[in-house]
Amino acid sequence: MKFKTFAAFVGPSVFMMLLFIAAPLVSVFIQSFQVTQPILEQVEVETCTPGFLTQTCTTEIKTVPVLDDNGKTVTETRWVGLQSYRNVLQMDKFWAAVGNGSWNDIMQIDFWKALRFTLSFTLLTLPLVIGVGLAIALAVNNATRSIRGPVIFISLLPFIITPVIGSLSIYWLFVGDGILTAMLERWTGTNISMFAQAWTIELLMYFYRVWHVAPFAFVIFYAGLQTVNMDTLESAVIDGASRWERLRHVIVPHLMPLIIFIALIHLMDCYRVFEEIVGFRSQAHVISLQWLTYDFMTPDDAGNRAISRASASAMLTMIGIVFLLILPLRRTWRDHKGSAH
Amino acid sequence: MFLKKIALAGAVSLMGSAGFAACSYENTTPIKSLSAGFEAWKAVTDAMAECGNFQAELDQEFRTKQPAAFEANPSLYQIGGVSNGTITPLLNAGTIRPLDDLVAKYGQNLSPNQLIRINGKIMAVAMMVNTQHLMYRSDVLADLGIDTPTTWDEVLAASAKIKEAGVMEYPLGATLKSGWNLAQDFNNMYAGFGGKFFNDDNTAAVNSEAGIKSLEMMKAMTEYTDPEVLVSDSTYVQQQFQQGKIALANLWASRAGAMNDEAESQVVGKVAMSAAPRAMDGGVPATTLWWDGIVIAKNISDEEADAAFRLAMEGLDSEMVKGANDAAIWLVEGYAPTEIAKGAIETATANPAPPAYPSTTQMGLLHSALGNELPAFFTGERSAEATLEAITEAYTTSAKEAGVLK
Amino acid sequence: MSTSKAMQQSFALRLSSGTFLAFWCVLAAFPIFWIAVMSFKSPVDAFADSPWDVILGPATRANGDGLSVLDIIIGLVVLFFAIRWAFTRLPGLVRQYCPPGLMVLGWIFGAVLYGLAFVLVFFGVLPLVLGALNGLLGPLGAPVLGLTTDHYVAVWAENEFYRNFLNSMLVTAGVVTISLTVGTLAGYGLARSGSDLAFWLLILALVFRALPHSVLVAGYLPVFINSSEILRPVFGDGAPTLYGQPWAVIAVLVSINQPFTIWMLRSFFQNIPAELDEAARVDGCSHFQAFRRVIMPVMWPGVITTGLFSFLLGYNDFLVTSLLLDAQNQTMVPAIAGYFNRETTTTDQVEAVAAAVSITAPLFLLVMVFQRQIVSGLTAGAVKG
Repeated sequence: MKFKTFAAFVGPSVFMMLLFIAAPLVSVFIQSFQVTQPILEQVEVETCTPGFLTQTCTTEIKTVPVLDDNGKTVTETRWVGLQSYRNVLQMDKFWAAVGNGSWNDIMQIDFWKALRFTLSFTLLTLPLVIGVGLAIALAVNNATRSIRGPVIFISLLPFIITPVIGSLSIYWLFVGDGILTAMLERWTGTNISMFAQAWTIELLMYFYRVWHVAPFAFVIFYAGLQTVNMDTLESAVIDGASRWERLRHVIVPHLMPLIIFIALIHLMDCYRVFEEIVGFRSQAHVISLQWLTYDFMTPDDAGNRAISRASASAMLTMIGIVFLLILPLRRTWRDHKGSAH
Repeated sequence: MFLKKIALAGAVSLMGSAGFAACSYENTTPIKSLSAGFEAWKAVTDAMAECGNFQAELDQEFRTKQPAAFEANPSLYQIGGVSNGTITPLLNAGTIRPLDDLVAKYGQNLSPNQLIRINGKIMAVAMMVNTQHLMYRSDVLADLGIDTPTTWDEVLAASAKIKEAGVMEYPLGATLKSGWNLAQDFNNMYAGFGGKFFNDDNTAAVNSEAGIKSLEMMKAMTEYTDPEVLVSDSTYVQQQFQQGKIALANLWASRAGAMNDEAESQVVGKVAMSAAPRAMDGGVPATTLWWDGIVIAKNISDEEADAAFRLAMEGLDSEMVKGANDAAIWLVEGYAPTEIAKGAIETATANPAPPAYPSTTQMGLLHSALGNELPAFFTGERSAEATLEAITEAYTTSAKEAGVLK
Repeated sequence: MSTSKAMQQSFALRLSSGTFLAFWCVLAAFPIFWIAVMSFKSPVDAFADSPWDVILGPATRANGDGLSVLDIIIGLVVLFFAIRWAFTRLPGLVRQYCPPGLMVLGWIFGAVLYGLAFVLVFFGVLPLVLGALNGLLGPLGAPVLGLTTDHYVAVWAENEFYRNFLNSMLVTAGVVTISLTVGTLAGYGLARSGSDLAFWLLILALVFRALPHSVLVAGYLPVFINSSEILRPVFGDGAPTLYGQPWAVIAVLVSINQPFTIWMLRSFFQNIPAELDEAARVDGCSHFQAFRRVIMPVMWPGVITTGLFSFLLGYNDFLVTSLLLDAQNQTMVPAIAGYFNRETTTTDQVEAVAAAVSITAPLFLLVMVFQRQIVSGLTAGAVKG
């Protein structure tokens, strides 16, 4: 294909990605090395606010931004090098904590706390999603033809349901004396509070993610199972391979590209875990990298947002994802090189 | 049954759009407003909509959108709904206009108490006050012979008694959801202990004796609260009350009405309100005073501002208040305080009175720092001293980034 | 296919596989079933401690809303046949009456018609008939199961949720159409080009896909709000304010979704033998003509599957739509989240649940209709690492 034709085909897509993804990304990258501040001055301000019947007036020195002739805030942008990264990473505290050998101290630093959770979330749910997805796919493939339709339909529900609503529905089942917590309490005879400590919340988050994503893995594997070569399978049977051996040596290798595909998608999606934190209100106990960025980004009542630190934390998240993707990508590169010749 | 309801709903919505019956004039300039979405705002914007050509946006993202939308030229909204916290970015950026002339023209029914003055200029018109105050199950307390608690020590003692008597397992409710809510509860307690938030040079002053005392008191509270208290926000506490699971809570006055809502509550008529408890003898009630009100954008034409303000006054008239008397502690003429407003009024008129929530850039930064760092204290990962130190550090970092500290 | 003797399974294996499947189905459906139950109860019942109170709804019943035994039995029977019919007859009817070129439209039309008919029969005709029957039956017709549709009425009629529904439809339709148009072209180009540039574009797309969205989205807001000022030098006074415009949100969602779309479609196109379009090119077609004449007729399974993922993204998006749309153009998901903000009541929450269940219904229909297409589309050889 000539370059010109190629450009015409991919042009619109690349243009949109450049405009709406790459451009913001570049600006985030630049902002992570900058700090933009308003020029501030201290002025005496008298503020009168209502009580129920009468007002109270206070006069105090307030720090307010300077406005220019057009009424716009005067701001100043400085290059600060890696300062924002230092603020996010807090390496001095990190090394001090490592020096003390205190895991607890490291977990007091937001970034490392978020990184710990994000990584364990990503890596623990990965095998679960693949395992559960494969198990459902095999079970459905085993089932009588007539019930497959409804079963596939039900299985897909957790995947299609709006994530905000899905996580809330699970939250309600467990929060306070939610019916499932109540059931567990009756069963075990102890008082259970699922949202009172970190590990139970984390467990619920893992559960939710597997519940939500396993159906995706399932459909893909199920589709893959339809194309398993029956001749190979039957010859394996003739060779006396047990069911387990057939699974290991025929089916799994056949599904390998799909497993890698799922793993790749799952790594990317999990690494930016966010909805679970908001949905399960776990900020007190566990936070994730994207949540950290989001939190820096969210303005407080006074309208302050920590743009520089948010940018730095976003870039750090990016670096992490590139590391995670290197392995699967090397394979794609080999395929590409292989197919090119 | 279903069809009848549909028909009824259809008829209601037709009636709603049919006329401008309740409005004294017909608005011809298109006006838009952006505000938070709670009951009081619904009542006010509904009243404004009766005049026509008005579009209300009740948005949970208004904090994020408001500063940017008002800074655009022309401003995307003419009317903004603010509280003493969220007015700060608009004031700082100078995107709202002084209202003195408009108040002179249309504000005959406003009381001087409603006019928010900054350096003598009217910058906003308040419509309601809000504060956290004590709500308690009068029946449970009466059964056990407990007097209405007026200090936090008494609240704790009452909780202990209720727990001992086996009436409830976790008698105390608290809005300690990590983040904004938890930080606000700390602010309340800290104010109650007479703490000062900032030094003169803008550095944080929470790492003090009052800070330690506040944290200790809040820790003592958690002995009587649900173990999941770090996820409980106002709605959750309100539900716990409605389901009869808790007997005491320091909760927003705007939530009081829900206790007597027959459709939701199992404790109708059993919840009473009184002033927010004091943290120490002779101190102020451990709470802060808030107001909500309207502002008018600067980057719009004078005619639009005129029309917008006139419309806003129509929304803030006594007729609106009559229709939604219990939705808030209104400052608007015509408000008749009922039993459920008793606690809030007692709090606001207490002597010495609780402070208004300080609306400054620094407070915004400190509030975020508190919200992020306090949870570690309640989960037991950090001591009170270390927590206060971490708060100060977090505040310093963000204050430096915002340019408040050098 | 016939199962050969050697492939037959022991009873134990079949049993355990069946049990596992049943367990999974319960697990998958229960949370959704449960919020559906909650949405029909008064707030007191919906958040009650005991599951029986939630299911039976004593407080709801006390308000005079409920179903009798008869209602339940007849309702279930109707439901059973309705679902059965949807799985067995509906596909045939669509195939029969739909011109072959417009299969997708036919399916959508069929699904919407079916949904409307179902709502009309189940909520319109049935209550009328049963109401009369219950009156005749006396005690047997007395309500035993508390159930109220108040929240749905409140959401759809009073809160004008249909506006959000229409907005959602607009945004979703826009996202699916544009995403697929742009994506098929790019996917085809990438699949047929072995150049390093194509490879690096794909890798770049992959990295883009991995980006945390909140970073991008927060960057859009100030630009979108001030766009009329920023664009004025270029477009003059007619420069639009992008904030609140559905088409601006569509553009953002399409871009965010592009990486996934082009990867997915590229895999589909790779599985269409390159000989096909090469033959067409030998016959003197340009690349575009070859694409239109040869590829387009055979690409539908892949496009439908990819389109479904685009649909889910557009329909379920919260982050972008909540920040970049104003109230007038708000889609359903942020509208529902609005019920849960700092100042809500229990009634609001149950109404939100009712709204949430309502927005799940179109997804139900969609999956019912396209289920076969998804599986066959994926089987046709989509996804390859």
